[in-house]
This record gives sequence, structure tokens and C-alpha cells, in this order.
Amino acid sequence: MTTSALTQGLERIPDQLGYLVISEDGVLASAGELENDEHTAGVIMQMVRTACHFRLQGAAEPPFKRMSVMLEDYVYTVTVSGQKVFVVKRQNNKREPVVV
Amino acid sequence: MESTLELHLDDTMKNPAIIGVLCTDQQGHILGCRGSLSDEHGGVVSVLARQVASLTKDPTDSPTVCLESDSGNILVRAHGTITVAVHKMSS
Repeated sequence: MTTSALTQGLERIPDQLGYLVISEDGVLASAGELENDEHTAGVIMQMVRTACHFRLQGAAEPPFKRMSVMLEDYVYTVTVSGQKVFVVKRQNNKREPVVV
Repeated sequence: MESTLELHLDDTMKNPAIIGVLCTDQQGHILGCRGSLSDEHGGVVSVLARQVASLTKDPTDSPTVCLESDSGNILVRAHGTITVAVHKMSS
């Protein structure tokens, strides 16, 4: 699949502020606030490798389908598909708890 | 006599949606755990919390890492020198 085919879908994610597509060889594509952000790409890849070591009792499959990193103002949503790591930076629309 | 931490862990497990909880120090040593999270998870949890800290320059911003899967969500967050992980059923 070409890089543009991979990123077309990412471009259409609502509230997205930027994205990265990363392989073992490095960053394949980047855009928006994550354009050329090698630091974030490196940290996310380290976290994906660490998280893949997480195994609940008796579980054979990887421990996550999606990893979200929630910061004060934004969220990084990370998923792995076809030997590539997809990272999308989105606005963090925090919801206050409702007191009933 | 049970310590305060042990009582807090027991209280946390009273929530029906929570199936595991774990606390570690910065070296990954387990301070306490219950349910689905146990000794073997301490290292990964503390390393994840340490790695995610470098994503923000704001020292007051403590990021939360959420590993989402069909068997529930594992939420990890550092509070000072202690890292807490909670395994919660998907809502």
C-alpha cells in the first residue's frame, strides 16, 4: 500500500491535529503538529515495544488494540497494523464528571 | 494490621468494573497489587510511565496511558514516585 493510501484515512479523522506513520525503519509519513517530530515518534515506538511485553494471565494475543496517551490538552491515539505504527494527535475534549 | 495502601487497593477492587490494580515504585518494585495485575506486570507499568513522561515539557502534566483491548482497559499513571495501574472492564 502506498504511503498516500495509508494517510488518506488519517487526514479525515475529526479533531486531528497531526499524525505519524512509523515503521521499524523510521517515520514513513508525518503531518500537522507531528510533522518531522522525530522525538515523539521515538518515544511512541519505545512505548509500543514496552506495551507489547505486557501479558495478562493466559493471554496469547498482544495486550492492546489501541494505546491512548492522554495529556492535558491533547491525546495521542496509537495503533499497530501491517508492521506499521499509526499515531494521531487529537484535541482532548475533557468531560467533567456529572454530579447526580 | 493492614497498611493504608492495602486498604485503598481493597477499596478500589470494590468497584465492580475494576478487575485489577497495581502500584509500583520507580524501579518497578511492587508496592501492592490485586486481581488481574500482579508482580510480573510491575516492570512494564513503571517503564511505560517513565517513557511517557518525556512526551510533555510541563512537569505538572501527568499523562495517562490507556491500553485498550477486548478484555478491558489498562490505565497507567504516575503520581510522584508511585505508578498506579488499573485494569478496568470496557464500558
